[in-house]
Amino acid sequence: MTEARKTFLLGALGILAFLALWEVAGQGRWLGLSWPPLSAVLALLVDENRQPLFARALGATLSSLGTGYLIGGAGGIAAAALAHLATPLRPGLERTNAFIHAIPSVALAPLLILVVGREGTPATLAALNTFFILYVSTASGLAATPPALKDLVQVLGGGRWTRLRRLDLPMALPTIVSGMRLAAPSALIGVIIGEWFGAPRGVGVLVINAMQNFQIPLLWAAVLLAVLVSLSLFGLFGALHRGVVARLR
Amino acid sequence: MDTQPAIAVRGVTKRFRLDDGSEFTALDDISLSLAEGEFVTLLGPSGCGKSTILRLVAALEAPSAGTVLVEGKAPAELSRQHRLGVAFQDHALLPWLDVAANIALPFRVAGQKVDEARVAALIRLVGLAGFEKARPRQLSGGMRQRVAIARALVLKPDVLLLDEPFGALDAVTRRQMNIELQRIWTEQRTTTLLVTHDVGEALFLSDRIVVLSGRPGRVVRVVDVPFARPRDPAIMRSALFHEMSDDLTEALAPPAGAP
Amino acid sequence: MKAMTRFFRSSWGILAILLFWQLWVGLSGVNSIVLPSPMGMLRSLAADPALYLSSTAQTVALAALGLVLGVALGTGLAVLTWFSRFLAGLLTPLGIIFASVPVVALIPVLARIFGYDMRTVLAIVVIICFFPAFVFTGAGLRALPPGSADLFRVLGASTWRRLVLLALPAAVPDWAVALRLAAANSILAAMVAEFLMGTSGLGYLFASARSDFDMEKALGASAIATVISVLSFLLASRFEGWAGRNWR
Repeated sequence: MTEARKTFLLGALGILAFLALWEVAGQGRWLGLSWPPLSAVLALLVDENRQPLFARALGATLSSLGTGYLIGGAGGIAAAALAHLATPLRPGLERTNAFIHAIPSVALAPLLILVVGREGTPATLAALNTFFILYVSTASGLAATPPALKDLVQVLGGGRWTRLRRLDLPMALPTIVSGMRLAAPSALIGVIIGEWFGAPRGVGVLVINAMQNFQIPLLWAAVLLAVLVSLSLFGLFGALHRGVVARLR
Repeated sequence: MDTQPAIAVRGVTKRFRLDDGSEFTALDDISLSLAEGEFVTLLGPSGCGKSTILRLVAALEAPSAGTVLVEGKAPAELSRQHRLGVAFQDHALLPWLDVAANIALPFRVAGQKVDEARVAALIRLVGLAGFEKARPRQLSGGMRQRVAIARALVLKPDVLLLDEPFGALDAVTRRQMNIELQRIWTEQRTTTLLVTHDVGEALFLSDRIVVLSGRPGRVVRVVDVPFARPRDPAIMRSALFHEMSDDLTEALAPPAGAP
Repeated sequence: MKAMTRFFRSSWGILAILLFWQLWVGLSGVNSIVLPSPMGMLRSLAADPALYLSSTAQTVALAALGLVLGVALGTGLAVLTWFSRFLAGLLTPLGIIFASVPVVALIPVLARIFGYDMRTVLAIVVIICFFPAFVFTGAGLRALPPGSADLFRVLGASTWRRLVLLALPAAVPDWAVALRLAAANSILAAMVAEFLMGTSGLGYLFASARSDFDMEKALGASAIATVISVLSFLLASRFEGWAGRNWR
C-alpha cells in the first residue's frame, strides 16, 4: 500500500516537474517565442472565443477517429478469426497485413485521397492502423488457448466454430482489449496525418494551419488537444482492460 | 569454546509485515549450529519458515531478533567476500549463457579470472560432459539443477546453501539427483545447509536433521543420522532407514485433532 | 517449385493488390496524373535512378542516425534510472505518457522550435526513437530471470557487476522490441518531417512531385519508402525473434 502510494506520488511529482519546467521555459523564453508557457496555451484552450473553433475541429477528428477505429477494429478481429479458422490463409494474410502496415501513412495518404476522397482519408488511415494492431493482438490471443482446453471442447463434440465462439475468443479477450488500447494513439496518428493532406477541418488541420501561420500558442493548444484525446482514450481502454482481466482471470 | 561453529543461529525470531499492516511471525526463537564440514537438513512442512532460515544465513533477510553468524561473522560479510554458494528451487540459470558460462558466472561476479580447469572439472563431476555449449532451455529439469549445483560449488565456498534444489523434479529424477549430490558432496565435504520437505532426501543426504513445526516455525526435534559415508543407495532399502523415515514422517505430521 | 508455392502462400495478398490496382487503372482509363499504375511507377523509377537514390540515401541516413542516437539516449537514461529508484519513479510515468502520445503530432511544434532544416528532421527522429527505448529498456532491466536477483546478492555482486552481468543482458529482448518499434517509426518520422518542412530527402521529393502533379514520381518515392520500411521492419523483427529465442 505505502509502496504503491510512494510510486504514485513520485510519478505525479515527475509530471508536475515537467509541467513546471514547461511553464518556466516559456516564461523565460529559453527557446524563443516558439515555446510558449503552459499557462498561455491553457488560457487559449479555454478561451471562450476559441471554443467553437476547437469544438468543430475536435468533432471532426473524433468522428473520423470513431469511424476508422470501429471499422478497422472490427475488420482486424474478423480477419484474425478468419485466419484462425482457415489455416491455409494465415501466412498470406499476415504478410499482406505487415506489408500494408509498413507503407508510411504519408505515402499512402495521397493515394487514399484519390480513392476515398479528402474527407474519408483520415478515417481510412485510422482504420488501417487499427486493423493492423487488432489483427496482431487478436491472432496472438487466439493462438494462446491452452491445448488441454482445446482437447476438452473436442471431446465434448464442439466444432471449430463452437470452439472459436465459446473458448478461443473469450480466452483472447484480455489480449484483444490490450490491443484496443494500443490502437487508440495509433489510430489518432492516422487521423492527424490524414487531415494534414487537406481535410476541411479537424485537429490536424488546426495544427498545420497554425504552424504555417506562426500562430504559436494556437499550434501548441491544438497539439495539446490531440495529446489529451490520446491520453484519455488510453486511460479509458486501460480501465476496460483491467476490468476484463479482473473478470476473466 | 575451542572450535567455533561454521553456522550459528542463536535465538532468531523473524516477523514480516503484511500488506494490510498486520505482522506475521515466521520464525520463533530458533537456535541451531553447524560444525565445519557438516551436512544439516532443515525438514518441515511447507510454510514452516525453513526457507526463511536459509535466507537469513544467505544474508537475503535480516532477523527481527537474535543473531546469525557464519564463521563468526555476519552473513553479509561472507557474501561480500564471495564465500557463499547457493542453489534454489528456481534453478536461476541465466538463459542467455551456456552451461559452461553459467557455471563460470560466480568468477565473473567476484571479478576473478575464470578458472577454466575448475569449470571443466565441475562439469565432469556433475555428469554434464558434452553439454558445455548447451543453453539452459535445451536441458531437462534435472540437468539444470546439476548446473545450478556446479555453479554453487565453483568458487569452493565455505558454506553451501541448498533451498529445495530438487523441489521441481519428478520423484525418480529426484532420487537420482540425491544419489548424485551425495557422491559430489562426499568429494567436497563443504559445510551444507539443505532445506527440504522430503524425508527420504533428508535421511540419505544429511549428518543431522532439524525438524521444524509450522506457523510460527519452531525446532521440534533434532535427529542424528547414523549412516556411514560414502553412502550406498542400498541403505535406502534398509530397515533402519525405513524406521527413521516413518519416525520423521510422524514428527512432521500435525498433532492429532488439528486440521 | 517448392519455393514458388511458399512464396505464393505468403504473398498472394500483396500480389492481388498490385494486380487489382494495375487492372483498375488499365480498365477504368483514369489519367496517370490522377492515379498512375504500378507499371508507370516502375518506369518513373527506372527513368531517373540518381534522383531517387540521392533522396533515399539522405532520408535513410537521417533516419538511421536518429535511430541510433535516440535509442542510445533512451537506453542510457533507462540505465541511469536503474541506479536510482527515485529517478525511476520520477521519470517512468512521464516516459510512458510520452510513449503513448501521438508523437508525430509534435513534429510541427518541433519544427517551429528547431527551425526548418535537416537538423530538425534528425532531432525529430531522435525524440521519436527515444521514448520506446527508454520505456522498454527500463522495464527490461527489471525483468530478471526468476531467482537471479537473490543469486547475485548471495554471490556478493557489486552494483556494477549486477548491471553488466545481469540487468543489461536481461533487458535485451525488451530492448529488441523497442528497436523494432523505433525502426519502423524512424523512417515514417523522417519522411513526415521532410514532407512538412520541405527540406530534402524522400519526403521532399514526394511533396514536390505531388505539387508538380507528377504522381508517378510521387508514388515512386512512396514505393521506396515502403520497401525501406518493410526491410527495416523485417530486419528488426528477425533481431527481436533471435533475441527472444536466445535470451529467454
